[in-house]
Amino acid sequence: MTADSSAIPPVIALEDVSVVFGGKVRALDGVSLHLHRGEIVGLVGESGSGKSTLCRTLMGLGEPTSGTVTVGGEPLGARLARDRLGFRREVQMLLQDAVASLSPRMRVRKLVEEPLHVHRLPLEDGRARIEVLLKRLGLPANAMEKFPHQLSGGQARRVAILRALVLRSQVIVADEPTAGLDVSVQGELLNLMLDLHAEFTLTYLIVSHNLNVIRRITTRSVVMYLGQVVEEASTAALFRTPAHPYTAALLSTNPVVDPAKRRKRIVLHGEIPSPINLPSGCRFHTRCPRAAARCAQEVPQLRSVGEGQSVRCHFPLTDDMVAA
Amino acid sequence: MAAHPDAMVAIRNLRLDARTEQGPAHILRGIDLDFARGRIIGVVGESGSGKSTLVSCLLQLLPNNLDRIEGEILFEGTDLLKLPPAEMNDWRGRKIAMIFQDPMTALNPLFTVGTHLRDILRRRFPQLSRQEIRERSLAMLNKVGISDAPTRLDAYPHQLSGGMRQRIVIAMALLVEPDLLLADEPTTALDATVEAQIVELLDRLRQDFSGSIVFISHHLGLVAELCDDLCVMYGGAIVETGPVAEVLARPRHPYTRALLDCEIEDGQEGRLATIPGEVPSATWTMDACIFASRCVHAAEVCRQGPPALLPAGEGRKAACKRSFEVLP
Repeated sequence: MTADSSAIPPVIALEDVSVVFGGKVRALDGVSLHLHRGEIVGLVGESGSGKSTLCRTLMGLGEPTSGTVTVGGEPLGARLARDRLGFRREVQMLLQDAVASLSPRMRVRKLVEEPLHVHRLPLEDGRARIEVLLKRLGLPANAMEKFPHQLSGGQARRVAILRALVLRSQVIVADEPTAGLDVSVQGELLNLMLDLHAEFTLTYLIVSHNLNVIRRITTRSVVMYLGQVVEEASTAALFRTPAHPYTAALLSTNPVVDPAKRRKRIVLHGEIPSPINLPSGCRFHTRCPRAAARCAQEVPQLRSVGEGQSVRCHFPLTDDMVAA
Repeated sequence: MAAHPDAMVAIRNLRLDARTEQGPAHILRGIDLDFARGRIIGVVGESGSGKSTLVSCLLQLLPNNLDRIEGEILFEGTDLLKLPPAEMNDWRGRKIAMIFQDPMTALNPLFTVGTHLRDILRRRFPQLSRQEIRERSLAMLNKVGISDAPTRLDAYPHQLSGGMRQRIVIAMALLVEPDLLLADEPTTALDATVEAQIVELLDRLRQDFSGSIVFISHHLGLVAELCDDLCVMYGGAIVETGPVAEVLARPRHPYTRALLDCEIEDGQEGRLATIPGEVPSATWTMDACIFASRCVHAAEVCRQGPPALLPAGEGRKAACKRSFEVLP
């Protein structure tokens, strides 16, 4: 976070947000996340880490049990009460399964015009914008008459992006934007997303398992484990010098083609524990190769370990250890 | 393709057509491939490359709109395509076993882990006693890294995590002691740290597995780390084969090169590489190089008949007429 960006309120900010389901499932625990205008932030974590709950909370699709969510400085609850549709125009989500996210009974034309009707926007202007965007997104002219099942995975994602851009959305939350796409198409979609980001000064939150995607297109990354942020840093720093053992393990198991670039594989034992029955102390200690007695007793706090890098670990890795 | 000295399975000119509304679709366009004992071969390709159909052919579990299948799949000299259905059924789960992509749908939710393993063993080794079946099941669970095996025998699939379920599926495949083990994207449905565990497990299991493993994947990095050999498929044809390290270090086919360029790796900046264009329709009659329409090196010669899969260095083959000219 740079000094000037902190002067303007973040587009969306989560402050110490916890979400507890049924009084016992701690899906999110004290998560803070700031999205500044024009930023591309990556969110990494395995199933059960709380990524989806975080997205839902940020989208206003569920209230936090404690903590606050603000949009441009205004509490999200107040914003939704005042101007629900306006918030929905501003923040849009791209769902993981793009084909399934589009109604199978509507042609693309109807799908991309639907937001105009929902938001009661003038049809003439909207249609003109759709024409422009259709070309801009590289969709073929005949795409408008197709049904979702007739689209390729890449095309379905473009239609979903079009549905967001026709509303002039500012913030796009993209859940696994390249999941299921062939690598030859993946690059095209990411290039397009980067171009649109520059062209419309969009703010992205990219949720992905694919560390290569996170590394290539985000500027800041957040790593989650069992409902908590365990590390946050500029993407470059995170990949160069991960400070949390979990981040280091994740990076080390990312398969790499070039043998010279492979890291020593750190294979973690077991799987992510249940959020109903959380481990004592550090939540990662049950699988951590560096765990000591203190880790099982004392909960580590998120603390700064360098420029813009913070980590939730009693014994963070230092640069020389990562290099070794 | 020249026979590998110790080839266990030799696929020769395998062609498969399916009936579609647009006419016959050429799903496999003349596949020549060998699987050697003691080696893991990675078959990579994008959607529509035919890699999953190839696996279906090996199991003789063919699509019901099958129009025509020809060629040979010689398994230690026996042509699987000529086996009567009853005999083929005997080969499945005896000589050939399969690890499926999604461990949840591969296990029956109504049966315990113990029942899954017992059914496999009873069919494969009818002479085993109840006690022996239990012992073998427990030993196999230990081998695939499942702790507390006696308790797990009584567990139902829904009580296990994704990684555990995939270990059970692997255990089921290994219990039949197959010669050929087919794995269709066995880690795609799993989380990153669990994927790493399964890859490590497969890497360890290969030590005492004398057969051959076919690993289907769309992930070049994974194949590079786990496999010995690589087979790159495109549009129903093989474009390149060879030892994985050599192929990936110096591809001999422009498609392999393009795929590698699309991989996002350390230290790259600027725009991401893509392969413009689309895979030719399956109904297209291959009268030119299958990749010519998207190849940056395509020339007139590439449009004059399809290239043959020819030797291109030690143990390597590539189907490109301009290979040595454009990929020096």
